[in-house]
Amino acid sequence: MTQMSGPQEFHYRLPRRVRGWRPGFHPGSDVGAGQEFVAHQRLFDWPDPRRLDLRASLQNLHGDWLVRVHRQRASVTVYAIVDVSASMQFGARASKLHLAADFVEALGRSAGQIGDALGMLAFDAAERHDLFVPASLSRGIGTVMGGMLRDCAGAAGSVRGLQETALRLSGRSALVFIVSDFHWSLEGLGAVLDLLAQAYVVPIILWDRAEIRPPDANGLLAVRDAESGAQRTLWMRPGLRERWAAAVERRRDALERICQAREIRPFYLDGALDCDALSQYFLEASA
Amino acid sequence: MMAALSMESFEFAHPWLLLLAPLAVLPLLRRRRDALTFSWLAWLPPDPWGRAAGFLWRALAVLAIASIVLALAGPGRPEVQVPRTGYGAEILVLIDRSRSMDTRMLPSDWRSIDPLNRLYHLGRGPQKALVARELLTEFVRERPDDRFAVMFFSTRPIEVVPFTERADVVQAGVAAGGVGRGLSDTAVGRALIAAAEKFNDRAYSGSRIILLVSDGGGHLDDRTQRRIAAALERNRIALYWIYLRSYNSPQLSNPEDVGNEMSPELALHRFFQTLRTPYRVYEAEMEEDFARAVADVGRQQNFPLDYFETLPRKDYSLHCIAAAALCCALLLAYRLATLRRWS
Repeated sequence: MTQMSGPQEFHYRLPRRVRGWRPGFHPGSDVGAGQEFVAHQRLFDWPDPRRLDLRASLQNLHGDWLVRVHRQRASVTVYAIVDVSASMQFGARASKLHLAADFVEALGRSAGQIGDALGMLAFDAAERHDLFVPASLSRGIGTVMGGMLRDCAGAAGSVRGLQETALRLSGRSALVFIVSDFHWSLEGLGAVLDLLAQAYVVPIILWDRAEIRPPDANGLLAVRDAESGAQRTLWMRPGLRERWAAAVERRRDALERICQAREIRPFYLDGALDCDALSQYFLEASA
Repeated sequence: MMAALSMESFEFAHPWLLLLAPLAVLPLLRRRRDALTFSWLAWLPPDPWGRAAGFLWRALAVLAIASIVLALAGPGRPEVQVPRTGYGAEILVLIDRSRSMDTRMLPSDWRSIDPLNRLYHLGRGPQKALVARELLTEFVRERPDDRFAVMFFSTRPIEVVPFTERADVVQAGVAAGGVGRGLSDTAVGRALIAAAEKFNDRAYSGSRIILLVSDGGGHLDDRTQRRIAAALERNRIALYWIYLRSYNSPQLSNPEDVGNEMSPELALHRFFQTLRTPYRVYEAEMEEDFARAVADVGRQQNFPLDYFETLPRKDYSLHCIAAAALCCALLLAYRLATLRRWS
């Protein structure tokens, strides 16, 4: 766990090429001013004498002037789809929504560093238009988004809300973070991820420590659902603790299975934002 | 009859307080304040024991409030007049505990013994007190419907057993007379007054008898006589005197017995005869006479008697309060066992 001292940011670079004319940090598919050599072109076809390759021209049997063509690095639009449902208010120390806000702020700084535009969409049972922030290159946009998230209140979440929100981004080449605790039925999640097939999707799974680790003390535990308000009483004992952990594992497996089928690797955030781990995540993805 | 009665007559001292009864629903309506918010309950494993505990919590809370409201309303059986048929008599056994009772009765064949040798045979008979105790014990056992009280008297009356239906207590009281030796005096007057006054303030539920078992009498002054007569009449008490005659004592059935006109026994008998209340005397010389006398008393007092008994109001609110206290104690234990925060 990193200390919360100073602004946090992480480094990310997409492992695949992105379409995009705006120069940036990610491997792009457009040719232009870059380091990555693609091919030689005749000077007639590619009238850029700055890139004239004398050695290649001399070797050319046709006697044409050849110009080096490079791919340029592109910037990508980054979207954070944030679940603001009532279950995100939960958290033993800080609420998960605050953690999501921390993440969005860090994302704002990180995207600003490399010139990526950042936008935000939010959902609970349906899309939350009041929390929509269009993609922008503005530097302080992450802080604005974090402030909006910290102050908001949500209803019960559902995969329908995520689907509505994802429809806006479908077919776009973007980097999409789905920041959620995924505390709803996972039935439609696969379809939603398919909608975002053009984008590079990173599910940020926010689970609080109190959710994945049952209380150590034995005794009765009265709990109330943050979304439905339903109440239950649990008798905390070693047997139940094991089943609790098993339920967490099952949930993790179910999520992993859906993501793996689409070559998506979820990132787990529990308790505090760990930017080094996030950087590590992207480093592993590019390798 | 009693069960039916208590079922149908049930009342509240303050029935309007039952308007508070809907308060008992509060634990069902209200969200639990001690419940910790969790993000998603469907994630948690099912726990039937925990669910039972949660149900119990609500049930106890409802029960506690309902019991308190019920206790405030003051449930109870109202005061009722119950018609009753009494078969039993109230019999106060007044036993002479003077030293003369320690002497022996005449042997059953004394009449056939030569008068010159009679004195030597007197020691063969059973002890008077012992016979009296045994036969009275038997008498008590055979009359389970009756209420008995036992009193001894010598220089002054000693109350041994107050009126009770428990035969074993009465028998123990009668048997208690066998401890130690008797005293010298026989204060019949004070004993009779005390015995008659034992019936004061008691509902009249059947024939009332003072069964005086004595072997001697006494001269009573006018004042005592009047008090005895008044007390017997006021409390409607019949007097039975089982007179255990000693060898030299006067015979009551033969008032012309020479030389005994002024004997205390005869004086007492004459006073008893002037009473307006029923009076019978049984002279018992031998054990068999005594047994006959006791049996005769038993036969005479077997009339059923109808009367009303007033049963006082019976309050049940204490039970409700006890139930509420128990519920609250269990709720407190539940609260102590509840986890108040995560980790």
